[in-house]
Amino acid sequence: MKDPRDRQYTNGEVTVFWVPSKCIHATTCFRELIEVFNPGRRPWVNMEGAPTRRIIEVVNKCPTQALIWKYNKDLTDEEKIGQRTVNNQEETPKSLSRANKPTNIRIMKDGPIVVEGKFKIIGIENQELKPSIMTSFCRCGSSLNMPFCDGTHRKIDFSGQNGEDGE
Amino acid sequence: MVKMENEITLFEVLSGGPLKVTGPFRIKGTDGKIIKGNGPVELCRYGHSSNKPFCDNTHKRIGFSD
Repeated sequence: MKDPRDRQYTNGEVTVFWVPSKCIHATTCFRELIEVFNPGRRPWVNMEGAPTRRIIEVVNKCPTQALIWKYNKDLTDEEKIGQRTVNNQEETPKSLSRANKPTNIRIMKDGPIVVEGKFKIIGIENQELKPSIMTSFCRCGSSLNMPFCDGTHRKIDFSGQNGEDGE
Repeated sequence: MVKMENEITLFEVLSGGPLKVTGPFRIKGTDGKIIKGNGPVELCRYGHSSNKPFCDNTHKRIGFSD
């Protein structure tokens, strides 16, 4: 059953599907391609912001399939109808996390610590780090963007399980 | 104890160590269940704790650095 909050966006060649219920605010999409994925804007996805090839590349990096894509020629009839609906009351990764109080900390399986809400971050040099409304902290120890997650946990096959691999 | 309305959650990134969290928060584990509803806690930041997601000081033995 399709969630009424789901959205789809197209540039005529490909369609990007946005499923808010699957989003963990990994922030990969807008850190990589703010020209297309900008949570501060409505609609938050602008398919004219970058070439198709680049959009596909970034959508493929979404860790949860909250963003997926299809060539328009492969759309089902139902998906073609969805193409024509426009709604400015859409959810964005930003509005979703604003609704969360108190500060919500989620431990993602084999992934980062995802934080939503109102909070402050103090870095290793005692400096205040700017939180984004959704922030992912590295949990695997191999991010190149410490203390934040940069998706490296997938490359190194990080396991969040305790046990032999935890040593 | 009554919490102040405007109390803010604080995340301190400890050099070569865990992520210390104080203030109002709740932590949900990988299965979506709340595993901790109040602070302070220290969360493992480099993947080697035997008590994930919490720190168990293994970083001191291994020598983790940022």
